[in-house]
Amino acid sequence: MARRVSSPREFLKGVPITVWMLALVVVPLAFTFVMSFYTSSGLMIDQTLSLANYKLFFTDPLYSRILFKSMRLALAISVLSIGAAFPLAYLVSFKIQRGRNLLFMLCIIPLWVSYLVRIIAWRTILGNRGVINSALLALGIIREPITVFLYNQFAIAITLTYICIPFVFIPVYTALEKIPRNLIDASNDLGANEVRTFVNVILPLALPGLVTGFIFSFIIALGDYIIPLQLGGTEGIMFGNLVWSQFGFAFNWPFGAALGFILFIIAVVILGVTARFGTTEGGFLGE
Amino acid sequence: MSKDNAIELRGVTKRFDEVTAVAEFNVEIRKGEFFSLLGPSGCGKTTTLRMIAGLEQPTEGSILLEGADVSATPAFRRNVNTVFQDYALFPHMTVKKNIYFPLKMKKVPLGEAEPRIDRVLRLVNMEGFGGRLPQQLSGGQRQRIALARSLVNEPAALLLDEPLGALDFKLRVAMQKVLKDIQRDVGITFIYVTHDQSEAMTMSDRIAVMKDGFTHQIGTPDEIYNSPATAFVASFIGDMNFLRGALVESGTGGCLVEVAGRKVRASRPAGLKPGEAALVCIRTERVLVNPSREIANTVAARLERIVYRGTDYEATCTFDGAEVRAIVQAVAWNPNLQVGDTVQVAWSDADVIVFPASEEKDVIKYSVEAL
Repeated sequence: MARRVSSPREFLKGVPITVWMLALVVVPLAFTFVMSFYTSSGLMIDQTLSLANYKLFFTDPLYSRILFKSMRLALAISVLSIGAAFPLAYLVSFKIQRGRNLLFMLCIIPLWVSYLVRIIAWRTILGNRGVINSALLALGIIREPITVFLYNQFAIAITLTYICIPFVFIPVYTALEKIPRNLIDASNDLGANEVRTFVNVILPLALPGLVTGFIFSFIIALGDYIIPLQLGGTEGIMFGNLVWSQFGFAFNWPFGAALGFILFIIAVVILGVTARFGTTEGGFLGE
Repeated sequence: MSKDNAIELRGVTKRFDEVTAVAEFNVEIRKGEFFSLLGPSGCGKTTTLRMIAGLEQPTEGSILLEGADVSATPAFRRNVNTVFQDYALFPHMTVKKNIYFPLKMKKVPLGEAEPRIDRVLRLVNMEGFGGRLPQQLSGGQRQRIALARSLVNEPAALLLDEPLGALDFKLRVAMQKVLKDIQRDVGITFIYVTHDQSEAMTMSDRIAVMKDGFTHQIGTPDEIYNSPATAFVASFIGDMNFLRGALVESGTGGCLVEVAGRKVRASRPAGLKPGEAALVCIRTERVLVNPSREIANTVAARLERIVYRGTDYEATCTFDGAEVRAIVQAVAWNPNLQVGDTVQVAWSDADVIVFPASEEKDVIKYSVEAL
């Protein structure tokens, strides 16, 4: 194809998005990147460039341990979210005829409720005098409130899964809706029962949506610091809390910037690796 | 008797809520027959096909496949395959994997399946395309792959749902030939749904003409064209003149109808009583203009319009408010004729078919005044 030179009008169309990207993404990231090479001494920031922050991250096992723990938890949350959202999306898309739009709205309605309100709601569900404990007490299964529900990784996982479900549901539902229904007929017609149609036709065609949902939930879960803070207790310090505390009471912005940038690189790598599977070009399941 | 039939429908009826999509369909389709379901959209032809495939359940009646009742058999266990209107190829599978799919479902190992896949690819003239993805193929190529995929299992019958509907005219005509050749080669029963009457006429052994869920006629193309059972069939297939009249007399040797003050003789009897309103049908290409010989029905008419159509002329003639169109081959056309001339229009009594006037509401008009 011949190379075309865009007209000035075409060029102007690209200006707003470029300004937007520069102002909101590139410039802040560049600041963070530069700051990660500064050092903090007391209340002052020393602007001589050094690798001290990154050296600290790689030498002190505390940080990589917390990063590993956060990634493991984020992975578990992503798997749980997909496990909850995929059957839901499949039901709404394929099995429900009447009231589908209503069900779709119900599935994404949590997005309209404030994030903090939802966290507090989960505290009241999981807490000592919360819904679960009250129910167990009333049923006589336990004699006094049990504390295993709150202030641990379990509480973080269940709450973040709840937060992530709509973000998985939407791309999976969209992918399922895009599957032409005559492919299901064709599969049936060619000898595949419902299970084999699901495995051979629906699942591979829904894979891009699943990958997108996985990316969303993993990145949300990996970066979150409010839920660990509110529900995680002492064992719930996640990588996000680490970053946040450097900008807060630790007052070590350069180190916080370095940790933030490491988190950013991880997100980029995950996006890069999984984006390959996000396309619909055939044959990605090998079979 | 049913051993020789590939498919038999007995009183098959399908109702969606209150709407009857197919009413009391009875037919026996022989093995190796090319059978078409023809009708305008919404006539129930696709629903009938989907019921044979097992993708819809009949409300009443039973479906027999090679003599065995399959009414309760789910689609994936029925030995029939469908070619869908927009091909329904799996976009995430290569051509080869698409064709392997039905064999894989029957647990045929890939090694055993490969020669069969190659054979159907050769049959549809698509060798060497096995590694392509459906989106890398043109419409006609996709069509042929869909055909290959449906044939690889050697089904008892192949069901085709307007398979050429999405193709342009030239390609459609070419694919009609390909389909007919393949059907002759493999000898499989084809059940072909179409709304295109010329497609049905050229390809089929027999045609069922449907409208609003009802089967108007089942017959060979010749029967359908020359002896339509209803005014709807007469209007849907071919080009027909419709004239309003009243029956004068009817007997075994034919009948006499009065049209615009003229007596029109028909060699076939009409199921009407004298005095009843009648609808007289004459094929446009059977109407002669200024014939050289004596013909039973001849009237003097005014030439109103002449349209040159390449291979033929369409001459519209009127007499006392009645209008008759004649299609005359270009080579037989008298170039001296002009609009306003008085001509003799004539047609043989064998070419006249008379229906009750009540059937006029079913007539589908393709002529200019209907537009």
